[in-house]
Amino acid sequence: MSDHRGHLRLRIAGSDEETFHRDPAELDAVRGREPEVRALPRSADDRAAGVHRFETTIDGWVFEVTVEDEPRALLREKAGQGAGGGGRAASDHIKAQIPGRVVRLWVAEGDTVEAGQRLLAIEAMKMENEVRAHRAGTVESIRVDPDSSVELGDELLTVR
Amino acid sequence: MSGQPPFRRLLVANRGEIAVRIFRTCRELGIETVAVYSDADAKALHVRLADDAVRLGPAPAPESYLRAGAIVQAAVESGAQAVHPGYGFLSEQSSFGAAVEAAGLAFVGPAPETLAALGDKLEARATATAAGVPIVPGMFEPLPTGDEAAVARVESLAADIGYPLLIKAAAGGGGRGMRRVDEPGELSVAVTAAARESEQAFGDGSVYLERLVEGGRHIEVQLLGDSSGQVVALGERDCSTQRRHQKLVEEAPAPGLTRAQREQLHALAVAVARQVGLRNAATAEFLYASDGSFYFLEVNARLQVEHGVTELVSELDLVREQLLIGAGEPLSPAVLAAAERAATPERHAIELRVSAEDPARDFMPVPGLVTRWREPAGPGIRMDSGLEQGWRVPGEYDPLLSKVLAVAPDRELALARVRRAVDEFETGGVQTTLPFHAWLLAHPAFTQARLRTDMVARDWDPSPPRAAAAERAADAVTRHVAAAGMGPSGPEAAPSPASDPGRGWKPEPWA
Repeated sequence: MSDHRGHLRLRIAGSDEETFHRDPAELDAVRGREPEVRALPRSADDRAAGVHRFETTIDGWVFEVTVEDEPRALLREKAGQGAGGGGRAASDHIKAQIPGRVVRLWVAEGDTVEAGQRLLAIEAMKMENEVRAHRAGTVESIRVDPDSSVELGDELLTVR
Repeated sequence: MSGQPPFRRLLVANRGEIAVRIFRTCRELGIETVAVYSDADAKALHVRLADDAVRLGPAPAPESYLRAGAIVQAAVESGAQAVHPGYGFLSEQSSFGAAVEAAGLAFVGPAPETLAALGDKLEARATATAAGVPIVPGMFEPLPTGDEAAVARVESLAADIGYPLLIKAAAGGGGRGMRRVDEPGELSVAVTAAARESEQAFGDGSVYLERLVEGGRHIEVQLLGDSSGQVVALGERDCSTQRRHQKLVEEAPAPGLTRAQREQLHALAVAVARQVGLRNAATAEFLYASDGSFYFLEVNARLQVEHGVTELVSELDLVREQLLIGAGEPLSPAVLAAAERAATPERHAIELRVSAEDPARDFMPVPGLVTRWREPAGPGIRMDSGLEQGWRVPGEYDPLLSKVLAVAPDRELALARVRRAVDEFETGGVQTTLPFHAWLLAHPAFTQARLRTDMVARDWDPSPPRAAAAERAADAVTRHVAAAGMGPSGPEAAPSPASDPGRGWKPEPWA
């Protein structure tokens, strides 16, 4: 475990979360054009877990990067396993990626869906944005109705 | 022009970058400016730059920027003599132009009857046919709606035209209310969605069907006309780089056309405009098929988003010319001279639309707080923007934030300049379309001007560039943490992301 000391685990949000491992000592120094790194607010949970959040823009891509100390992350994972993990199951909850209004609902609770199938449409900035199933499964619960207003991150439905 | 401004005071019935753009010309002409705004835009750049500003209502467009009566009243009460509609919103609703004129003010745009004839795409198709200009095969009437008989009729009309086809909004523009349909099973859902989107965007849900001509280019002609009936073409633009029928990149002139093709295209556009007696600015859009033929698509009877590339090549200020025409003056000597040179352009200009959209998620709009915004500058670069750092992009409107324009003596140097500008542009907080532009500007099909309207849908894969950038993001954050620590650790430390990350942060003791 001690070889992880000083190592960082970084997670980058996206359609699939990616994890990176970095040792600051192994990175070459950069001369010029170092991108700006902006600290983001942390929740109480973040602080308790020693998780920090940053944002940086590379080649125009805006990344939200979650950073934690690798040994601490490993400990947290071990503790989490006993409680049934949870990381996977959480991704079955489909959340709004954009604030707007639900204008269509193509599925009902109990429907079987294929990966990529249209579930609902959210209208924002005058465009309808289709939300599709991230996996094959069954629509377990639907938390919105047609015409519901949703905020970024609101849970829309669960596909398991 | 005699040195007197064409108007003493003008209201812009719009927001964002186009309102800012119009105010700039007004300033140069000595015209006082009046902004209108919704609650979401109370602190917007266009409001700050205007001499006067009038609140229209809550954020949703139907309660603010689409309230024609409230806008006319604001113009009258603020002492404006003229109204410029910009693009989108009410710009192509003939009833708005008519209401402005009925209030005794000048409408900087076509006559209401021209707007009715040109702005309605179905009427425009009939008009073009009457002028002897070829059109894409399709309908001349809106689709029937309502009962089951109507549904059956829509299906049979679609079968007659053939698949794949396009559903278009009769009142449309900018891809709103437009849907591609590949097979009969998709038709009714797509018609309903297109009609609703059109109703939302334009207050008119009429849609029609047109054959989809694949593999072509989108080329359009800038037109200006005066009240005497004189109409000229000021060159063409290639707007083939699109997705979901929304333009991403435009350039002038259209690469690869011969002088004879330019002259032919410009003449077709002028023929359509003359047919309806165009006054002020308009754009005739054409599909340039792979066999070399031009099909007329529609006329947008307003200033276009991409008018800037024509300005850079022609050296005209189209807004200035619009204002002069709006004040009743004939086409200026500068316009007539530019029209003479229109088929033999000596410069090349490229425009990139920078929108609050995520190019990794099918260009989904992503409103939010802009925590970093530093625009490029330098030789040959023009920026038309409607925001500043710290601006919260509202979710209620079109996601266009800014346009990067580059001009040079030839396309190669214009490309080098716009590529350099993208590299200089620093943004944060809100994902923009910049990574897409960086990819496009390095793509051989684009650099070699092999342009197609379906290129983005076929070739854009965000994964490789995003994955490479993510690796570097992990490096950058690691270096930052190693140098400065993790940042705030106390319970009170939750500043806005816009705050300077270097200030007030305690390095956290690192385990």
